[in-house]
Amino acid sequence: MSVLVGAALAVAVLVVLPLVAHFLRRGRAAELPFPPAALVKATQTSARRERKLEDRALFSLRALAIAALAVLGATPLVRCSRLSLARGAGASLAVAVVLDDSLSMRAAPRGKASHFERARDAALRLLDSARSGDSIAIVLAGTPARVALAPTTDLSLARRTVKELTPSDRGTDLTAALALARSSFLGAPERQRRLIVLSDFAAPTPPPGDPAPWLPLPELTEKLANCGVAAAEQHATRVAATVACTGADAARGRSLELRSGDKTVVKVALEPRAGVQSVTLSAAGAAVPLDLRLDGDDAIAEDDSAAVAPDTRGMRVSVLADETESGTATGGAPLVEQVITALERDVTLRPLTVVPDQAADLAEDALVVLDDPAVLGPEARGALTTFVEHGGMVAALLGPRAEAGRIGASLEPFALGAVRWEQPSKSRGANVASLGWLGAEAKSLGDVKPAGRALVDAGHTPGARVTATWTDGAPLVVERALGSGLVTTVTLPSSVSASDFALRPGFVALVDRWLDAARRRRGLTTSVAGTTWSFPGEHPSIVGPEGTLRVVETPDRGRSATPVLRGRYRITTERGEEIRTVSVDPEEITLEPAPPPASATAQASAPSGELLDASSDVAYAVLGLLGLELLLRLRRVDARPGFR
Amino acid sequence: MNSRFDSALDWGALAPLRLRARGAADGLWAGPHRSLRRGAGVEFAGYREYSPGDDLRFLDRHALMRHGVRVVREFETDTDRSVRLVFDASASMGFSGSRAPGAKLAFAAVVGAALGWVALRGGDRVALDWLGEGGGSPLPWGSGMPAFERLVHVLEDAEARGSVEPARLASLLTRLGRSSPSGSITVFFSDFLDLPPNALEEIAALAGRNRSVIAVQVLAPDELDLPFGGPVRLRALESDLVVDTDAPRARAEYQAALARLSATWRDGLVARGARWLRSSTLEEPGTVVRRVLESIAGAGS
Repeated sequence: MSVLVGAALAVAVLVVLPLVAHFLRRGRAAELPFPPAALVKATQTSARRERKLEDRALFSLRALAIAALAVLGATPLVRCSRLSLARGAGASLAVAVVLDDSLSMRAAPRGKASHFERARDAALRLLDSARSGDSIAIVLAGTPARVALAPTTDLSLARRTVKELTPSDRGTDLTAALALARSSFLGAPERQRRLIVLSDFAAPTPPPGDPAPWLPLPELTEKLANCGVAAAEQHATRVAATVACTGADAARGRSLELRSGDKTVVKVALEPRAGVQSVTLSAAGAAVPLDLRLDGDDAIAEDDSAAVAPDTRGMRVSVLADETESGTATGGAPLVEQVITALERDVTLRPLTVVPDQAADLAEDALVVLDDPAVLGPEARGALTTFVEHGGMVAALLGPRAEAGRIGASLEPFALGAVRWEQPSKSRGANVASLGWLGAEAKSLGDVKPAGRALVDAGHTPGARVTATWTDGAPLVVERALGSGLVTTVTLPSSVSASDFALRPGFVALVDRWLDAARRRRGLTTSVAGTTWSFPGEHPSIVGPEGTLRVVETPDRGRSATPVLRGRYRITTERGEEIRTVSVDPEEITLEPAPPPASATAQASAPSGELLDASSDVAYAVLGLLGLELLLRLRRVDARPGFR
Repeated sequence: MNSRFDSALDWGALAPLRLRARGAADGLWAGPHRSLRRGAGVEFAGYREYSPGDDLRFLDRHALMRHGVRVVREFETDTDRSVRLVFDASASMGFSGSRAPGAKLAFAAVVGAALGWVALRGGDRVALDWLGEGGGSPLPWGSGMPAFERLVHVLEDAEARGSVEPARLASLLTRLGRSSPSGSITVFFSDFLDLPPNALEEIAALAGRNRSVIAVQVLAPDELDLPFGGPVRLRALESDLVVDTDAPRARAEYQAALARLSATWRDGLVARGARWLRSSTLEEPGTVVRRVLESIAGAGS
């Protein structure tokens, strides 16, 4: 700072003058002779208070005006620096801004704005320094990483996009976000490219790449103590909660509280240790819905509470199998049931003796497996069809009984037309290449030599798709979409008298696939924030923690919605109403900020702050202050003690 | 005397005015007022029993000859009336405020001088006394234009200062009570704001016994409506009292207190037969003179 600047700024010392004048005048009301003064009631306090307020306003204005004059005298010698984009030789820039909207960005140092708000403000400041012709792309790093704004030269659109961004409870996928941002540079005509990352780097370290990212807000990587409830699920009379903490200090002295409405059900202290810990609380007798709350304060208040997901063990699978034919020589349940049990799925098995005639009897089922079913009567066919059309899944392992037809009976919806049981089978095993979707276990089916097999004509069944074949090309697995559900037909039963098909890993993988498909079609009752829910063939209405959730429709995926906030969502479709719970990824809480090494970031070529002349702004401020002071003085003259 | 008040008074308009009082006067000289005494008048007043020493010219010889009764005939006589002007010359009477052309004492002096002029011009006697320290020497009863000149001279030298001491007030009122003849009129000019606590009783005691007391309260317009805006510090003139107040907020309460004080004086005086007038220094002095004369005409027994 030069002597001249110092001298100009020293003018600000004159700010004490109005202060001195203020103290000299303060509290000294005009004294007037008045003979009947004894008849006047004293209101001393009120009078002085009003005068004090009035003087304070005037004093503040005058002091500000003097200070502003001093600054004006010092400008343009004094300049201010702010975040901006640097450019070489005035050329246009290709800018990709990666903004992290994950849960960890909700962290707020005590008394300050959250990391997300600071990142968003920084992005806006950077956009303010962009010029016409610059290309701007905005990528969000919350899981899954996505492009919020494809490269555009419309700066107002970019600003509006950034302003509309809101924090979420998503995880962080910085690697994918950086890849997306770098891909936005492909084919860009601008030679100068800027990759700006506004993140706390609470994620696995992204690999280096070109261009190197610039981290304009390194303060976002400050480590803050935080604990959060990642997920909570009810199992019968217990609630299993997953609590994640960044450190022992963050967990020390804090406890987890299970609440039913406004009533506290039980309270459990946390262990003072870092990482993920599972806490089990008794919810016996408590009315649903239940919520968990973590007491105390930390960096992220939003993750201190969570909705408890209802019990998901209720997925029911009904199995129709003949114990004598489908069982094993050592006895026990049919093989299909044993496989389902061995997969240790949280499912409830219901053995069927006959196929129900009413669709309502299947309403609670997610999957119905028919092992070597006989032909179905019209009522049973209707019940199965209705069940499938409403999103259910049915799998049939066709065996010798499929051939035993009777008048008015068929195997619809598994196969239209007659099914023939071929024995001995001409097949020499399954076509492993066609079973690639089954994974490594498909190989185990390559040498299956069944005693017999069912032959179906998939071509006559509308919507049917052969997904696996025998080596001779005959269908082995046929899938058929029907309404919102799925029908799967396997041309081999589980009975060991027909083959050892059910004893091979490929069969277990197949059943596992059915269970997964059934669970997906039944709907995920719990998911992490950022997971997309699909509603094929339905018109859902979703109400979540922040109101109605937007449902989008795309040609390839149909209607879908992506909840980004943790909490309880009520979904209403044509099938009825269901509750889904959204939780957060525990890693999003436990992973501490770890910025990439300096060598991997752009430093030498990093844009620097731009020097700005603030003379005109200060001059306008001075004029405004003088005008205000004049107005206030005019008001005071009108209200001055004296005669009206 | 304040010249602005002096110039505001149309002396010519006072010419037709006469001092009229309902009660009879007890004057020394012949005058325009009905006298308490009977004498050589022209208007028959009645008969009374003869007593030795009566003028035989008034013995009704017709009654004596017809009925053998000795009675004398009486006639009413006219005499002059005594008007005493008492001015409050304490410090509070020096207040003028922002809107009045002069101090309250100056206004009272002009009104009093005009009243004295009307009385003297009608042949009545006028005397002058002071409440407070600031007044000059009192004037004894006098009549004619020389008395008016003395009256004006003394009023011009008056200065409002000090306060009204209770002992001095008691002494003055005792003297007035003794020296005021029957039928006399005493006119007090004061703001009645800072008088001693017993002043009301003592002034009211002058009324009665065929004597009239007229109290004229003189207030500046600022005293009537407390016109100040914002916070003010008000200082009394006859004490050390200082009041910090917010005038707009205190205005209504002040006006109510002033009304109560005036009502106390008015009720106390009227109950004893006295009269009460309130005037503002913004009024035209001639109007106040007329109001005082009207009040005198309606006062007395």
